[in-house]
Amino acid sequence: MRNLPFFEDTFDKCLKCNACVASCPVANTTLEFGGPKHLGPELKRLMDNQTIIDDKSIEYCTLCTTCDMSCPEGVHVSTLTAYAKAIHADMSGTKFRDWVLSNAEMVGKLASSFAPITNLAMGMKPVRKVMEWVMDIPSERQFPKYRFKNFNRIYKKKEAQTERKVAYFAGCSATYNAPEVAMSFIKVMEYNGIDVVKPDQKCCGVPMFANGKMKQGLKNANDNINSFLAYTRQGYDVVLTCTSCTMAFKKEYVSYLGTEEAKELASHVYDADEYLRILKENDELNMELAPMKERAGYYAPCHMKAQGIGNPAMDILELIPGYEIQDVGAGCCGQCGTFGFKTEKYDVSMKIGRPMAEAVKEVNANYTVTECGMCKNQLDQLTDKPVKHPMQILADAYERAN
Amino acid sequence: MYDVVVVGQGLSGMLAAIWAKEQGFSTALTATGTGKIMQSTGVMDLIPGSSGGLEDWVHFFQIDGFRKSQLSEAIDQFKALTNKLNYSYKGELDHPISIVTGSGHTKKTFLYPETISPLPDKGHVVIIGFEEIVDFQPTYVMKNLKRSCPALSVDAIKIQLGEHSQRTMSQLDAARLLDQKEIRSHCIKQIKEQMTNRNISQPNLFVFPASLGVENWKETTGQFSVELKAPVTEAPGMPPNTTAIRLNEKLKKEAVKLGVRFYADTTVVGCELEGDEVKSLKIKTSNQMTDLCGKHFILATGGILGGGLQVTSSGIKETALGLETDRTGALLHCPVNLYPVGASMGTQMTLNGITGGVFTIFSIREMIGKMDQKQMLGGIVSA
Repeated sequence: MRNLPFFEDTFDKCLKCNACVASCPVANTTLEFGGPKHLGPELKRLMDNQTIIDDKSIEYCTLCTTCDMSCPEGVHVSTLTAYAKAIHADMSGTKFRDWVLSNAEMVGKLASSFAPITNLAMGMKPVRKVMEWVMDIPSERQFPKYRFKNFNRIYKKKEAQTERKVAYFAGCSATYNAPEVAMSFIKVMEYNGIDVVKPDQKCCGVPMFANGKMKQGLKNANDNINSFLAYTRQGYDVVLTCTSCTMAFKKEYVSYLGTEEAKELASHVYDADEYLRILKENDELNMELAPMKERAGYYAPCHMKAQGIGNPAMDILELIPGYEIQDVGAGCCGQCGTFGFKTEKYDVSMKIGRPMAEAVKEVNANYTVTECGMCKNQLDQLTDKPVKHPMQILADAYERAN
Repeated sequence: MYDVVVVGQGLSGMLAAIWAKEQGFSTALTATGTGKIMQSTGVMDLIPGSSGGLEDWVHFFQIDGFRKSQLSEAIDQFKALTNKLNYSYKGELDHPISIVTGSGHTKKTFLYPETISPLPDKGHVVIIGFEEIVDFQPTYVMKNLKRSCPALSVDAIKIQLGEHSQRTMSQLDAARLLDQKEIRSHCIKQIKEQMTNRNISQPNLFVFPASLGVENWKETTGQFSVELKAPVTEAPGMPPNTTAIRLNEKLKKEAVKLGVRFYADTTVVGCELEGDEVKSLKIKTSNQMTDLCGKHFILATGGILGGGLQVTSSGIKETALGLETDRTGALLHCPVNLYPVGASMGTQMTLNGITGGVFTIFSIREMIGKMDQKQMLGGIVSA
């Protein structure tokens, strides 16, 4: 790992202005974390052509990428911290728990195969106490439910016949925990006369990167790139409903791998709402949406903000007649993928999440809309509002109109 | 397609986006990183680095009588906004106050948040520093302050926040700690002890680094001033200054809640012109290029310090849209629907690299007025 080729040189421009530290949700919550500037550009400068340094506090980095968004010089700080994580995992080893959490896909497959039992067990206090003792997974942390009828069991289409063709990357959350999101997306595309195929795919790798399993994550990245390039080269667009997977496809694969293939794929990748907004701009969007008298609060995931695409979910949902949606204006949720499932990070996770819960309460809408399955997990735990994916609302509006 | 596209999220970009959105314009904001509020002091000056008053300001920025008549309205609007955001700015443009900075120098300022109190002409001042915060050294502040204000008697006290980190702790870290009541009480106890032990008399003002709480600044300033029985102030110095961080966070949250669309981590790398109008901006995200279309474009990229202008061997360049400029960085042929504001108007509008703040607020308000006029004439709000 320490010899991995490195393709980032943006850190040369770091002026040490502290904008990233002042914006970092973790650094603003705990002094235990060295912070993005120190563990990003400064550590990189210190280590170049010298001794590799293993800094344990890099475990606190959640790869939320707020540092990248905050940098006035365009430094990809999170790429550097991802490598610092890989170095740490390589030199200090990986806990069994972190290995399990980083294999979200394997967990999903297993847990959904025994879904009723898994969900029951995860809701039982004694079971959770044992998990806390053995695995350091806090017993108070709620888990998402797993579905026996997961998306892989219900959808297998491999070829599209329509003019516009979409290759869909579902991600672990929509596959094993929320197949209704994936099915809603397919329905929305159907109403727009677009066939959706599901190419062979593996976990996007984000949970692996976040736990320092860089090699394993890059293997998945290469597999996904190969599988999806075969489609984009036939005129397919790659569309995703999970904002973290989208970030991986658009940015992280390119930053970590630096290959022409990764770049080629990135130029064909769209967030689902972003894709619908393009249809709207081209006058191709089906506007037969039934009026909905609902008031929703929108929670923007960090990995949505970081894509630099404005707010496509709100742009699209505002097309529904009578529908009201307001951004609650909150920062990071604190769940941060696998981060919030770790006992020693749990307090920090909750502390980061509290202002989000207050923001949701302040807006006091009927429910909260967000794209990210992990943000949903934190919203479910910290607020009393139901949480929906934009595709579910949109599918509903189309259905009611027909 | 947006009614208004703002480039930059410093003070000018953020205010422009909020006020445009409040007027009913659909608004997008594109930015490479945080704005320069993050590095600022958070107080608003007339002419930066000068003690000049309103008349000098009018002269420096070449504001004629009619334009000047709109100034008080712009300032009132800024005050109303900060009041709504629960971080009120006070001060009057014809009544400058003296404040002390993080290096112990004094300066005149005109608009300042409630965490700032004026420095008295004479009397006694106590400077409080924290062991953990290296960017603010109370003895250094004391010595400089004594030099600039011989009529003041000054003492310095160093106390401990009682928390440590492997990273260099900033004024913002101290501010987040001072959001907690126990830490504040712990600090007050140490200050009182040192004052008793060293026979330091009750001062007219306690000076802290710009660290008096983030979310709970009211409780923080309240508890310190009540229990220490004297007014307290923040002395803005090395960034991040919490005076400025609060303003930044509150403006950002307001813009997001109003529905301004943020295109974060993007860089404007050119534009498409049609005749004398900008049709769209070319924006670069991590691995894609997009066109951001709009009816009106606000150039809030800042001056040389903000990155909107760049000094090259062949003169000053405008970095975002790549338009031609004169030797001061002002646009030679400004498209009719492009509005440069604040420091992006050229080096004539800055001193020591910045506008000072008051001119920025004024220029945004003026620009919004221009757009409103066009709206009445031609209608630019989308159906």
